Amino acid sequence: MMKATSKEKTFNMVFILPALILFLVFNLYPLLRTFQLSFYQWNGIDKDMIFVGFAQYKHIIFNNPAYWKSMLNAGYITLLCLTLQNGLALLLALLVNRQIRGENIYRVIFFLPPVLSGIVVGLIWKFIYDGNFGILNNWLVSLGFTSFSDFAWLSEIKTALSSVAVVHMWKGFGYGFIILLAGLQTIPTELYEAAEVDGADKWQQFINTTVPSLIPVFTMVTILTILGAMQIFDLIYSMTQGGPAGHTDVPITKIYQYMNNGEFGYSTAMAVIFGLVLLIVSMIQLYASKKINK
Amino acid sequence: MLKKQSFFKIVLSLAVCISFLAACSQNQEGGSGKSGNDNNADVVKIWHWMTDRQAAFETLAKKYFDQTGVKVVFETYAPTDVYKNKITAAASGKLLPDIFNPIADKRELASYINAGYIADLTDAMNDGWKDVFFEKSLTQNMFTDNNEWNVKPGIYGVPLDVSTLMIYYNKDLFTKAGLDPEKPPKTWAEFIEAGKKLKAAGIQPFVCGFGEAWLIGSFAASYQWSLFGKEGIIDTIKGKIPYTDKRWLEIFNLFKEMKDNKMFASGIVTMVNKDAERTFAIGKAAMALNGSWGVNVYKSMNPSLNYGLMYPPELPDAKYPLLVFGGDGSSLFVNEMSPRKEKAIAFLKWFTQKEQQVFLAKETLNIPSNKDAAQDLPDILKKFSESVNRTFDTLPVLEAWQVTNYINLNLQSVVIGEKTPEQAIAEIQGEKERQTKK
Repeated sequence: MMKATSKEKTFNMVFILPALILFLVFNLYPLLRTFQLSFYQWNGIDKDMIFVGFAQYKHIIFNNPAYWKSMLNAGYITLLCLTLQNGLALLLALLVNRQIRGENIYRVIFFLPPVLSGIVVGLIWKFIYDGNFGILNNWLVSLGFTSFSDFAWLSEIKTALSSVAVVHMWKGFGYGFIILLAGLQTIPTELYEAAEVDGADKWQQFINTTVPSLIPVFTMVTILTILGAMQIFDLIYSMTQGGPAGHTDVPITKIYQYMNNGEFGYSTAMAVIFGLVLLIVSMIQLYASKKINK
Repeated sequence: MLKKQSFFKIVLSLAVCISFLAACSQNQEGGSGKSGNDNNADVVKIWHWMTDRQAAFETLAKKYFDQTGVKVVFETYAPTDVYKNKITAAASGKLLPDIFNPIADKRELASYINAGYIADLTDAMNDGWKDVFFEKSLTQNMFTDNNEWNVKPGIYGVPLDVSTLMIYYNKDLFTKAGLDPEKPPKTWAEFIEAGKKLKAAGIQPFVCGFGEAWLIGSFAASYQWSLFGKEGIIDTIKGKIPYTDKRWLEIFNLFKEMKDNKMFASGIVTMVNKDAERTFAIGKAAMALNGSWGVNVYKSMNPSLNYGLMYPPELPDAKYPLLVFGGDGSSLFVNEMSPRKEKAIAFLKWFTQKEQQVFLAKETLNIPSNKDAAQDLPDILKKFSESVNRTFDTLPVLEAWQVTNYINLNLQSVVIGEKTPEQAIAEIQGEKERQTKK
């Protein structure tokens, strides 16, 4: 293989320069600036920033229970997404993969919710859940459940977070569906034919052929689900604003709240901690999937 | 040929890079002097969030252009938190327009002033301008001697209107429940009694956008003023009176009493005010705590809505008068760094004169900040303008926002029955101590 000359290298650099500048300006600089700001007490306006070292990190870790509660709330939504949302996505992908008629129509239908705006979806579902006008309660009453006539799904502690999670899952299962379907279509049919010759029934084929072949896809879907669900914001913002009494607060709504109240330094420290948590979770997931693949 | 093509590609790539960098730096050179990206020296640019008033603003801007030849452009950014973020970002990038509002409490406003983003209007105001306004409408934009934020004493903002919070009540629903629509409840006991009758008639008694924490906090604050008075509130902020004081317990018990009597509309704790306004406008609730802007909102939602106004009900054992949230409404501030500062001030002076304010009041049904313009208001707005004298005084100190947030969250917790008033006030005191240590 011929080595590129320095002239060629320069020539190539010119082509990647626009992308590099975009990356530096819009990715790397904000990241480094966020990290830098997290060590300062600053309200976003004052000319002077006060260096406080790790004091804000210490306060968040030891004296901000509401932040960690919001992390648990996001964790709860993530857990539901990992199980129910991805379970549904896999089921639908398996059904559509059976070379049924109108496969493309299903693909489009299932992929519609993910492409809708989160704020719009949140507002629509807010109307569905509404205790005064909501169609969900009207439907339940028409089925005979009259005690639900004015039930406020988003204002009851027991149902608020789960109600938001349901909407997130409804909006998000299409991503998993598309990726899993693509994964299923890469599995060679010969594997199934061989399994069938060996006497494996459909369930055994699924467990011993489909699942192992899909592990890299599962890993990717799982990581995307975790990152997506943990970073939920637009639905919460439009449906509950973190209420009732903070029961649907998630890390991003807390960060937004602090930033809106002029705590730029503190909120960036929250963001850094949140980023680290997500990084650790993703690394554990990657490590685990590598172990399984071996 | 190949060399020519390569040369052309390199030039093209460099051109893309240069144009990109130029676009990034375009507005940095002039700082805020560029005034919200607009390089036109004759255009005064105003960023605001009042979507319902844009048409009226544009009409007045056209009139001003016809009279003076100065072009004024109003740009709307909503909702308010998005607008607020835009202002903060623009300030950091020194890209503020000529006129804006940081949507800030006094502490934040002080930061904007101290950082040199907001012009001191004292000289212009002392030229007789300040006399046209309701006194209360100026206080939020004014800093006195020895203020705790070290701001040079003076007037920094121009009030456009005033607003207060009162309770709207639906007269038809009152009649349906056997209540006298001309005698709304005045005391807390009458209020609860009315709530019981409304509930018995199958009507939701009370609605408000408690999902927006400041509204639930403002309702509670009326009783804070009534039970503690100004000095008591200041002492609480300074930590001399704990939040576990029995008067705080009494305030939280008021909310519990309302909850126990099923007075709250379904979903009130996550309801934003727009939803609460809709609930009241279509007759799904009999009483609504809302601001004077509600007059315009209800008119657009249900022009035939038959309603009256009442103050929050008085407590029998209160030592101090019951006050309501309000005073200043929407204000505008002039960018200190704007090269069109004088033009901006001249426009605002014109904008707040009687003729323009009467027009705004008529078109938008808000209470004008100009006292003279407030004389010719519809009855319902007159009641609001009278209540301006019963609004909270401006405090020389402010509670940490985290503590205020805790109060609002714990009020929500009491409303949904998650906590008892005793638990709620204990948690607020805990947060107060955490913030004091911080």
